[in-house]
Amino acid sequence: MIRAGIRRALSLALRRRDRWENEVEEEIKLHLTLRAAQLMDEGRNPDDAYAEAVRRFGALTESRARLIEAARHREARMQRTEYLGDLRQDITFALRTLRRDKSWTAVTILTLTLGIAAATAVFSAVSSVLLHPVTYPAADRVVMVYQQPAKGNNTGINVTISPSAAVIRAWKTDAHAFEAVEGFAQSDLKLRTTTDWVDVHAARIGPDFASFAGARPVIGRVFTAAEITTNRREALLAEGLWRSRFGADPGIVGRAITLDDSTYSIIGILPADLRLPRVGASTTDVWLPLDLRNDRAGASVVARVRPGMDATRATAELDSIFARVSAEHGERADFRAVVAPPGRQVSFRDSLMLLGYAVALVLLVACANVAHLMLARSDSRRRELAIRTALGAGRSRVFRQLLTESVMVAFAGGALGVFAGWLGLRAILAASPSSLPALTLAHVDYTTLGAALAVTIVTSIAFGVLGAIHAGRESTNEALKSSTQRSTTGRGRVRQVLVVTEMALSATLVVGASMLVRSVANLQRANLGFEPSGLYTVRTSVPRGHFANNAERGAFLRALETRLASVPGVTSVTMASAPPGWWTFSVGRLEIEGRPAPPPTSTEFIRVNRIQHGYFGVMRQGLVAGREFTDTADAAHQVIVNAGFAKKQWPGESPIGKRLRVAQQGTEPWLTIVGVAAEAATGGPVSEEVTAPLLYTPAADSSAAALLVRTARTADLLQPVQALAHAVDQGVTVKVLSVETGIADAIAEPRFVTLLLTLFTVLGLSLAAIGLYGVLGYAVAQRTREIGIRVALGATRTRIARGVIIGGVALAVGGAAIGLAIARWGTKVIESQLFGVARSDSASFVAAAIVLLATALIACIVPTRRALAVDPMTAIRND
Amino acid sequence: MTRLPLLKGTLDLLVLRALSWTPMHGFEIVSWLERAGGGSLELEDSALYQAVYRLEERGLLQAEWGVTENNRRARYYKITAAGRSHLRAETKNWVEYAGTVTDILTAAKSSLPGTGAS
Repeated sequence: MIRAGIRRALSLALRRRDRWENEVEEEIKLHLTLRAAQLMDEGRNPDDAYAEAVRRFGALTESRARLIEAARHREARMQRTEYLGDLRQDITFALRTLRRDKSWTAVTILTLTLGIAAATAVFSAVSSVLLHPVTYPAADRVVMVYQQPAKGNNTGINVTISPSAAVIRAWKTDAHAFEAVEGFAQSDLKLRTTTDWVDVHAARIGPDFASFAGARPVIGRVFTAAEITTNRREALLAEGLWRSRFGADPGIVGRAITLDDSTYSIIGILPADLRLPRVGASTTDVWLPLDLRNDRAGASVVARVRPGMDATRATAELDSIFARVSAEHGERADFRAVVAPPGRQVSFRDSLMLLGYAVALVLLVACANVAHLMLARSDSRRRELAIRTALGAGRSRVFRQLLTESVMVAFAGGALGVFAGWLGLRAILAASPSSLPALTLAHVDYTTLGAALAVTIVTSIAFGVLGAIHAGRESTNEALKSSTQRSTTGRGRVRQVLVVTEMALSATLVVGASMLVRSVANLQRANLGFEPSGLYTVRTSVPRGHFANNAERGAFLRALETRLASVPGVTSVTMASAPPGWWTFSVGRLEIEGRPAPPPTSTEFIRVNRIQHGYFGVMRQGLVAGREFTDTADAAHQVIVNAGFAKKQWPGESPIGKRLRVAQQGTEPWLTIVGVAAEAATGGPVSEEVTAPLLYTPAADSSAAALLVRTARTADLLQPVQALAHAVDQGVTVKVLSVETGIADAIAEPRFVTLLLTLFTVLGLSLAAIGLYGVLGYAVAQRTREIGIRVALGATRTRIARGVIIGGVALAVGGAAIGLAIARWGTKVIESQLFGVARSDSASFVAAAIVLLATALIACIVPTRRALAVDPMTAIRND
Repeated sequence: MTRLPLLKGTLDLLVLRALSWTPMHGFEIVSWLERAGGGSLELEDSALYQAVYRLEERGLLQAEWGVTENNRRARYYKITAAGRSHLRAETKNWVEYAGTVTDILTAAKSSLPGTGAS
């Protein structure tokens, strides 16, 4: 069809071209004939006369070509002028009519602006964070590769594993499903400056990583494979660090820097926009070589899939290579590979998708409203358009006119919407909690702009056509005859359907929002099982190699602990391997004495927390049975388990005195349960009951990851603790984190999402209310005459008001009923976000119904008052 | 008799002038110019058509196919409103310009700047 169209356009163009040529030829021929005739009249013989005519015309061949060219030019220019003239006329006219209906224009543009702004803001975030988080070449084929336990992940936590160096090497050489496989690793190091140590984020990469990511060194060069194997200590600086710390020194190459205990020589600078493919990762300051010959260290893996390769086959290939490598090393292949786009691992993916759905609904409500407004306008302009048609404006011209108007309105709305969306996104980013670093990637990208443009174009054409169809449906005659005496029931029904749709969409939003609001309230009230307020973790960080061994480190911690206890405001101090916000695991089989042992092939990740005496006191975490360790010596083999696990394993029975162990070789000693600790949600509130084991075991100082400090008041601990640490050991810096803030961060995301969803819901609901108001107001205006007659015949004010309100409420109830039905099914998308609220939560549904009815009643106020104000005399007279 | 080469731009003006009374086809315009100029204008006939197309493109003329007295199809050119006002303005310019040039060229020596007592 398209091809036929093109052919037709071409042949038209050709024919037109022929026409000019023919016309020019014809003109020349006529001229020569007439000239020759004139010359013959003057007495020349015919041959002579014709030759003279040609001579006077000028060199015939060239002048003919010149004239044809001039004619072509003329035609093209005139066509353009005509078209532009029409367009200018259309635009001028549209501006005039739009200006005449100022309030209509403003409401329509505002509605579109709000809808598109909400969509732009959220879709920008979805697009730039989830869909296009990496900007590497062929980004749509860039995937993250990691491994997960093939079975027996019993921790209740999503465990992902970095493949070992041997596996990555094998993947690099043997995985044909990929064009390239690159490993990378992150670590925080300390950079020695002239006076101090500075924390820097380092990334280790292979020789090809930069080109994989589409980056070239700003200065210098990247590592070569040979340099990595010969263990040369070389580093590239990131442009940012080079500028901030080294004054953008162009002669930096060859200088040496000290990171932790090693000295590296700088071989180049990598550009600032080179980032690791991990969404929300901190920017890298220093790039170091990744040595994949070291078989023990693992690394993260990013890869580029070959075009047309599907994920299942790619994964299968990775798994089979992994199985081979594991067999070579005499290990079990207990992990399976996962291939996922970088956006998959974004923690608040679900929340963002949810907001995406919400703004899609808001956009639909906005479009329904605009449809309304267009209908109302084409109704009120019916007469004007009929007059224009009667005066000779062609149908296509009238259509073009309407299209011009809707295009102008839609583009105004679109442009303002994108601008407002950009502002909105900035506001969202400014208000977003710091626990969502990936959100900082969000920006209005080309995908979003394209989508906004598409929405605008579709809107403008759809509504232009809609308006034209509605305006053109009636015959010119009919429309001219009378303005009020026509049936508008058909059109009224379309509008009612639109309003019911809007109400239904809003009802869905309201249900979702109220569920989330309740859920956040539950989160904030949740019983954590310990007291986060006034609790701090103190983590130490030292340049690598600072402590000769763990005992030295333990001695330092012990000394710091003793000093900390005497800081004013500090009531107690303890140490743990897994302070709040951290996890430590044992890998093995959990065996319970007297029960069938799990098969020796199975492996589990079992949470363990190596704690010191007084831990539960400092945490204010209760023991539901038994007591704390009586003997912290390793030889005593005592263990405390979590309540959820105990309840599941020994229902209605005391677990005290039972024995269990984490078996690896099968020769490990049994541990005796001496206590059962209340479940502590140290990572923030959790919705399901925890049944996975958590083993508290007594620990030596050296295995502690951090000190835990309980204070009487929320004191600023950082300064005194830093000073103390320095007093004990010059080379140590400490990080003090408030556990309370950590918990707040954990619920910051749902709070933030709820806030945004509530905003969007209010927006959607307001638009729906405007829609309802429009329909009722229109109905009242249409029925002015009827109302006037009824008042004249003695109808009371109550009756009139009831009529209007019942009309409005009926639409709202219809919409709400449909919307609540949709919500029952649609709340699936927020199920994963709910805490302590069921998907079928009746309170939320009731609340939504009430909110909707209240909104409908508010929307009824003005139309009702207008109906009551109808003066019977004017209404009947006025036609 | 010397034939005068046409000054640049004046042909357009002459064509507009020709058409200011009645629409004509190409040869009629040429003949009119020859008659009105008494045969003293040097002009290739094709140049006339160039001028006409140019004027049409600028919207100063409008073309339409018609039939001559001898029943032959011909393209008739008609001056537009824009063409008329262009003609008026340009004629005025031309007359002023020509007058000034004539004055200067024919002025008595004394009125030339720098030599008289002014």
